[in-house]
Amino acid sequence: MRLDRVAVVAKREYLQRVKGKGFWIATLVLPLFLVAVTVVPSLLLSKSSTRQRVVVVDSTGEVAKELQTVLAAPPREDQREKGRSHPTASFEPTVEAMGPNPAAQREDLDRRVRTGAIDAWIWVDAKGLATNNVEYHAKNVANFVTQEILRDDLSTAVGRVRLRQAGFNQPEKIGELTQPIHLDTVRIAKEGSRAEGGMAGFAFAYGLFMMLYMTIAIWGQQVMTGVLEEKGSRIVEVLVSTVRPFDLLLGKLTGICLLGLTQIAIWFATLIALSAPGVAAAIVSLPEGVHLPTVTPLLAISFATYFILGFFVYATFYAAIGAAFNNLQEAQQVAALVVFFLIVPLFLMFRIVNDPDSTLAVVASLIPPFTPLLMTLRIALQPPPFWQIGLSYVLTLSFILGMVWISARIYRTGILMYGKKPTLQEIWRWVLYA
Amino acid sequence: MEPILELQDVKKSYGDFAAVSGVSMAVPPGSIFGLLGPNGAGKTTSIRMIMDIIAPDQGAIRFFGHPRTDKDLARIGYLPEERGLYRKMTVTDQLLFLAEIRGLPRREALPEIERWLERFELASWGKKKIEELSKGMQQKVQLIGTVLHKPDILILDEPFSGLDPLNQETFRDFLVESKRQGKSVLFSTHGMELAEKMCDHICLISHGRAVLTGELAQIKRRLSGNSYRLVAEGDLAKLNQVPGVEQVITQDRGAKLLLTPEADGADVLRQIVQFANVREFRSEEPELEEIFIKAVRDAA
Repeated sequence: MRLDRVAVVAKREYLQRVKGKGFWIATLVLPLFLVAVTVVPSLLLSKSSTRQRVVVVDSTGEVAKELQTVLAAPPREDQREKGRSHPTASFEPTVEAMGPNPAAQREDLDRRVRTGAIDAWIWVDAKGLATNNVEYHAKNVANFVTQEILRDDLSTAVGRVRLRQAGFNQPEKIGELTQPIHLDTVRIAKEGSRAEGGMAGFAFAYGLFMMLYMTIAIWGQQVMTGVLEEKGSRIVEVLVSTVRPFDLLLGKLTGICLLGLTQIAIWFATLIALSAPGVAAAIVSLPEGVHLPTVTPLLAISFATYFILGFFVYATFYAAIGAAFNNLQEAQQVAALVVFFLIVPLFLMFRIVNDPDSTLAVVASLIPPFTPLLMTLRIALQPPPFWQIGLSYVLTLSFILGMVWISARIYRTGILMYGKKPTLQEIWRWVLYA
Repeated sequence: MEPILELQDVKKSYGDFAAVSGVSMAVPPGSIFGLLGPNGAGKTTSIRMIMDIIAPDQGAIRFFGHPRTDKDLARIGYLPEERGLYRKMTVTDQLLFLAEIRGLPRREALPEIERWLERFELASWGKKKIEELSKGMQQKVQLIGTVLHKPDILILDEPFSGLDPLNQETFRDFLVESKRQGKSVLFSTHGMELAEKMCDHICLISHGRAVLTGELAQIKRRLSGNSYRLVAEGDLAKLNQVPGVEQVITQDRGAKLLLTPEADGADVLRQIVQFANVREFRSEEPELEEIFIKAVRDAA
């Protein structure tokens, strides 16, 4: 390995790409896109407030009355918890008695909805209630937020009626009496006990997963197309006669990894600049007894190093694929498989959260492609013995170097193979005999 | 003198097909060496083996007297047959990269790049992207990239193909100049006229085999059978008695003289001028093209 050559290659990869439009488009557009798909819909939802004129036809006579009371009351605490401190839908109920001819009455209600006199009608009868069903008729039945509120309120109303029928005299207290219980989780660590959000470790691993996933999705592909491009433009012949393919690929991966890190740094800096006042306010106003997850130095360092290792692990797959195939189409078919290695640890995460010291956890977190995600998770949950952390670094680094070595062998032979799509056996032969 | 580059019985097969079956040659320092042969003879495969892009099945390749090491890379300039550059890079960035990757530091490379761009009339193109250049210009950029780091030996696969006559001349002048500076040049071509003008040494490859190797002048002498064309007036019957003359074939206005292999043309001429008025006396060396065609046919 000639580090000076690796550095020259890495420098070229980094500078060429950071100067290009593609990098800045990806860096700026992706966050905008994420904002667009996550924030905007909920913003729209929270701003839109509909008022529905509803006719309630009730054969029992009791439910409708109770429903009116519930609808008139301010939203309950459990409803607010779901983010509805300002209800997004409110109702203007009119109670109508059930006539002697239900069929004609229903037809008339339908007509009124069609002409716009009312927005919806609700049909409550004993038969439906026996199976916990109430009919809701409206032009639009896809307004799930509105329906959810109505369903909640109907459940409350029906519940109160039933309790009263069962002999309970203070039905309005029911909300108070049936409050859900929160589990206050306390992690027992060496430094002593400390209350914290139980999902913190999971959140960390999940955060790493998202970061790795996005970086890999963008830059892993870049590694592959970069290799393919070099082969296509034939500059590769000058390169391999000057630089060892191993150094060439390592330089390429390093340059592109630095680019990914630059991108993430830009994102973080922007995020911190934009949200710092809000976050500070949130921390100050945290309710008593709730602590932010502990970020130990070990966790912070692990997060950063495993991210870089993770990037290299997955990028080497792309490098090998780029080296083996002749064009983007062929390569992309195989490249889809790389995501598989990223998804497997995601599934294992759920098992490991429950038992971070199980054999499954220890073994899986030492398998190099899974190490970055699973080891971070374990460190966040309950730091494993240092020998395991050390071993994971050794194994992952060896894996990366091994993969670069294999890719270099494939690259070496692959550059002079034209036209034909190689079979797996052929690729393996290239590795053995390059 | 120790050769700059030496191949000993180098072989390479792909399955049953023998691409190169036993090539040996030596490139002396300060020479222009032509690797000649028809299309598909094995020239590019040989060069790729020299450049360690493909490994020979058998045989030895030595640079500067030893098997190639990483350190030697800085002393070799290589222009592959299939040209390629990073299309999105500017001319200067591209050349800088090619120089740095061969160990030439940036501050030394930049003035060098400027000088070369000037010489190839590309000075105003330094900031342009490769993809904006014409094919001929790209070719020139690639040539500059090959020589920027001042290598001791240039290995050029079909360097003249794709160049217009004017640029061919610029580049030919450069190669001759390099030779004068004591550097070696090995280039492949199937253009015999050019090779005849430039090469001191040749290796002629046909069907993967080296059929003729050595100093061009010697090869010609050997193949010509030491024959001369004479145009003269006088007592031409005396020609048979001149020492060194083996046979006289009378021709219009003169004769064709076949000399003994060890005879020297100049000595023979000195004898003849004593009894005849010589208008023309020239070696009837075969053109390289003839040698080429004959050798290829004989080898087939």
